[in-house]
Amino acid sequence: MSRLEAKKPSLCNSEPLTSEGVRATLSVWRGIVSSCYGPSGRLKQLHNGLGGYVCTTSQSAALLRNLSVTHPIIKILVTSVQNHVSCFSDCGLFTAILCCNLIENVQKIVLTPTTVIKLNKHLLRLCTNYLNSEACGCRIPVDFHSARIPLCLVRSVLTSKPASMLTKEEVDHISALILRTFLLTIPENAEGHIILGKSIIVPLKGQRVTDSTVLPGILIEMPEVQLMKLLPIKKSGALKVALFCTTLSGDLSDTGKGTVVVPCGVSLESAVLDQLLNLGRQLVSDHVDLVLCQKVMHPSLKQLLSAHQVIAIDRIGVTLMEPLSKVTVQKIGTQPIGSLGSISTSSYGSVKNLRTAKFGSKHFFHLIPNEGTICSLLLCNRNDTAWDELKLTCQTALHVLQLTVKEPWVLLGGGCTETHLAAYIRHKTCNEPESILKDDAGCTQTELHLVAEAFCRALESLAVSLEHDGGEILTDMKYGHFWSVQAHSPSAVNWSDLLSRCGCGLYNSQEELSWSFLRSTRHPFAPQTCLPREAVGSSSTLTVDCLTAKLGGLQVAVETANLILDLSYVIEDKN
Amino acid sequence: MAAAGSVRAALQVAEVLETIVSCCVGPEGRQVLCTKPTGEVLLTRDGGRLLEALRLDHPIARMIVACVSSHLKKAGDGAKTFIIYLCHLLRGLNAVTDRDKDSLMSENIQTHRRHWKNCCQWKFISQTLITFQTQILDCIMDQYLSGHFLSIFSSVKERTLSRSSLEWLLEAYFCGRVGRNNQKFISQLMCDYFFKCMTYKSGINIFELVDDAFVELNVGVTGLPVSDSRIVAGLVLHRDFSVYCPADGDIRTVIVTETLQPLFSTSGSEFILNSEAQFQTSQFWIMERTESIMKYLHSQNVKLLLSSVKQADLVIYYARLSGISVVECLSSEEISLIQRISGLSPFVIPQGSSQCEISDTALVKFCKPLILRSKRYVHLGLISTCAFMPHCIVLCGPVQGLIEQHKGALHGAFKMLRQLFKDLDLNYMTQASDQNDASSPLIYKNSREGNQLEEHGNGSLQKPCPNTVVKNKNKLEKAQTYLKVISNVELEAYIPCSTVKLTPTNTFQRDQTPRCFSLEKDGIIDDCEPLIESNSTANSTTENTRVDISCENLEIAGKGNVLPMGCRLLDMCTSQSYCSSAMPAGCVLPVGGNFEILLHYYLLNYAKKCQQSEETVVSMIIANALLGIPKILYKSKKGNDSFPQVYRRALHALQTNQPMVSSQTGLESVTGKYQLLTSVLQCLTKILTIDLVINIKRQPQKVHDEDSEDEL
Repeated sequence: MSRLEAKKPSLCNSEPLTSEGVRATLSVWRGIVSSCYGPSGRLKQLHNGLGGYVCTTSQSAALLRNLSVTHPIIKILVTSVQNHVSCFSDCGLFTAILCCNLIENVQKIVLTPTTVIKLNKHLLRLCTNYLNSEACGCRIPVDFHSARIPLCLVRSVLTSKPASMLTKEEVDHISALILRTFLLTIPENAEGHIILGKSIIVPLKGQRVTDSTVLPGILIEMPEVQLMKLLPIKKSGALKVALFCTTLSGDLSDTGKGTVVVPCGVSLESAVLDQLLNLGRQLVSDHVDLVLCQKVMHPSLKQLLSAHQVIAIDRIGVTLMEPLSKVTVQKIGTQPIGSLGSISTSSYGSVKNLRTAKFGSKHFFHLIPNEGTICSLLLCNRNDTAWDELKLTCQTALHVLQLTVKEPWVLLGGGCTETHLAAYIRHKTCNEPESILKDDAGCTQTELHLVAEAFCRALESLAVSLEHDGGEILTDMKYGHFWSVQAHSPSAVNWSDLLSRCGCGLYNSQEELSWSFLRSTRHPFAPQTCLPREAVGSSSTLTVDCLTAKLGGLQVAVETANLILDLSYVIEDKN
Repeated sequence: MAAAGSVRAALQVAEVLETIVSCCVGPEGRQVLCTKPTGEVLLTRDGGRLLEALRLDHPIARMIVACVSSHLKKAGDGAKTFIIYLCHLLRGLNAVTDRDKDSLMSENIQTHRRHWKNCCQWKFISQTLITFQTQILDCIMDQYLSGHFLSIFSSVKERTLSRSSLEWLLEAYFCGRVGRNNQKFISQLMCDYFFKCMTYKSGINIFELVDDAFVELNVGVTGLPVSDSRIVAGLVLHRDFSVYCPADGDIRTVIVTETLQPLFSTSGSEFILNSEAQFQTSQFWIMERTESIMKYLHSQNVKLLLSSVKQADLVIYYARLSGISVVECLSSEEISLIQRISGLSPFVIPQGSSQCEISDTALVKFCKPLILRSKRYVHLGLISTCAFMPHCIVLCGPVQGLIEQHKGALHGAFKMLRQLFKDLDLNYMTQASDQNDASSPLIYKNSREGNQLEEHGNGSLQKPCPNTVVKNKNKLEKAQTYLKVISNVELEAYIPCSTVKLTPTNTFQRDQTPRCFSLEKDGIIDDCEPLIESNSTANSTTENTRVDISCENLEIAGKGNVLPMGCRLLDMCTSQSYCSSAMPAGCVLPVGGNFEILLHYYLLNYAKKCQQSEETVVSMIIANALLGIPKILYKSKKGNDSFPQVYRRALHALQTNQPMVSSQTGLESVTGKYQLLTSVLQCLTKILTIDLVINIKRQPQKVHDEDSEDEL
């Protein structure tokens, strides 16, 4: 039992953040993620130079999965963002950019990491308290009685992922579809604890996006020939279903650790087959119309069943088993059948109807349930890469909707939350620094101002990352919202003529507002809190973000930045 | 490589390690990022992890790391301090020998070269070190230091633990282990966890249980902020249900360790099939049998089956039909933890169809799936039959590396507490009586100085000191000294009483005055014996004239606070000079280098009165090395809080017998410190006894052997 000893000693670097190489790497990485951010973000094409799959994306989930990084510090940043994305699906780029910005900004000020970390934590608490408070001026309650805000939410998710290549009409179509899909997964008569159902995304590549559709029930893909064989379905009305999770191929079961001696002439296979055929006869006599099997079915059994007009479908796979058992279930307690012995009649389920369907070039077997929370989303897009991107986007949107049901609030999007929050922090640190430092005697107010400025700059330059076409970013002095002007617009004119609406679409420029450049220094002002209800009602389309995801992103970004700032050594195991 | 080189080489190695390690020490310490060859990234402030990650190549370095890891296995804390001590000790030794060498060179070069070559001196020094570690250290700990100890328990007899003192202890511990952001949060979490798990009667065994089964008692969730970490009641198994059937009310559960479905043949047996019909019948029988077992379980109202092995599909199917939830493939650790908590033994399949009651079922309050970030776990509300109330910690963090760090720190904290809750035996030889006589004037003088302040307030107090008790042979005299000792204890008790200043809460109370105010010897012994038993340190080495003095429950009321003093159990053998005593469980000192400064002070005092020069030298070296830690701790402080100031104040306080005032809140375990010092001294003697390091072509087998030896 010899074990392999590690040969090479590790490499140990002190004060990693001060090294020029690390700073350069960080800024390159920040460049990559920030150029992807927002509806006008630039796409990245990832390929390995040896041919094969090419990924075109601007989403953090796809980008970070395919990007391989080597430096330990970047690695920790990437894993932290990836973990956030796998929890919340959304706001990955937000987290990544904010974290980079924080690290870069803090390095410019000459304070010990200890102080910075402590103050960053106080500022984070200030932000989360504000965003969770009733007085918050950048969050809107979601009322699921009307589709308006949820639709805005889905639309915002779709438009922020430009790599799915959707036109405006297609965005409308898909966002309506996603919302319908989501509504189909909500049980009809639920009281108290709600268990959401499941939506299965079925790929259909090479079709127009507007051909996408959602159907209740389950689609099982099947070659045309096989489908022809099964037809015609003679019966209308509910169909009796037997769902097997055990194999029906006639394999011998586990015989244990000892030996089994079989004399010549005794064929165990035929014995098992006999058993299978008996089972088939029982199914027929029980008037089962449809036999579904997770694993393989013996051809003889199939033959027997089809001779008696019983439809038999095998090799369903484990992923479809759970939704299938939900679809076919009549009452709680009916389960997939796992035994070849006599089957009690209570084990059978039923479906409302069964039909074949053809979408594009594919043929499907469509199981329509009596009731249930399972639906299939047929998603079309023109090519593979765009489809992959669209699928990810749809999953994100569905997840975001689920999160919003749990916590029915959304934040203003389009950069407005960030600028508003920055204005709020500036105002707070200027006017009530004691309230932030109340339980911490170790920091002075000057230190707080320095760190708060770095924090606010990080938030603001995050908002600025939304603009990729050389435009200028302004902020108003009343709400602290985000306004962008096109590049090369004539200067020294009335701002209210040049600007139309703020980033989230809540306010228009015709109100009596004053603006200033976001990059310039301003006097701290108190942004208006407590969003008035009528303001939300008036505007037609809003850009909104999921509160849970964004709040999580904010926390993870600050925590990760603190973690990286706290590093004094990096030890690399070079084996 | 020659022996003299060996110390120098060891010093070089230790200095390199010290520079790395010292950046993580104390509340101001920072994080280190380690990458593994597999690509994982790990954040750590744990010295042990750090040293391992360096993958050192130097033979002495590897020996040091092995020593550190064996110390960590026992104590769970102190790897960084270990390196710093060691480095300072080596530095001290090196300086001393350099000086020696110069003087010796001029004398007689030839003979002393031989002397060096024979390494006699190193051997000699290492022997002195061993003597010091085994005898003098214990003696000093017991006779001088113990007067300064505080106790973590709010009542020593019942060993009850107040939340505030545990918080101080844990906060100080996590200061050195966890990133600055999360220290407070993690220590609160641990505190909550401890008090949730603890019942009224549970004592030290709770730490043993948690320490042993720590992996099973926590769940890591990545991608969430650290502040989302929480404690959940019940046990979280790192598995999903194979079958989940919701059930209400109390759920009966059984544990199985074998497959329930009978097989054709077991290992070592042969099963002969003669016809197809026979095969079908036997298959049918298996099916029937499985069904009947499951039905039987169902009839016994069992709702949950915990299995350590994978069960056959058929079992799963029938479990589903009879509404029994199944969890499969539980690890042996999980099974043993469940057994420890619920006192359940595995279910034995009834032979034949005997429908007897199953005796081995346990009740579970609830059993439901727990979904943490799309991963599913089994959440069991086990009803505990032991003192441990099952709870699990859900640890969240943005990256796995951080969660691992927190896990490691929490585990270490339980190890530390486990050590703290044990009594520590101190054994030492007191000096022969004539020596004692020689040294006692010094002590007298010393204590007189120290007691002056007390005398102002309480003129009647004498100035006895424990040393004098040892000498007394006359029984009557002895009885009188009891009183003196007691009053002395009382006097000592005043010393920590004002250190309490740093912990101002609670009520003013004085529980019990020392009870042993009797001139009758018999009375004293009667009074003391039960107390000794309760301290569980009853020393059964019955040298007949042994006298036990115990002062129980001496609660000192400080300025509005109860911080009880650690009571001492002094076993003094008058006929022989062999002493054995015990440091009671739960001895703590305030953080911020208090232990080091105290030991430093008393060691210097000891060195002054030492006769043998080697002992003096060794004591001086150790005393000075001890200051290394407080020096680092106060490095960033300025002005009044800088190290020289603190040191000066502390020495002044000790000389005038005033309480030492610490600027920091927080407590640390004395046991841990003591164990650390002994481990360091052992490591040092190991280094000193090596005279040659021979590099051979490495063979894996050899390396393996060497390692296992070190671990021993």
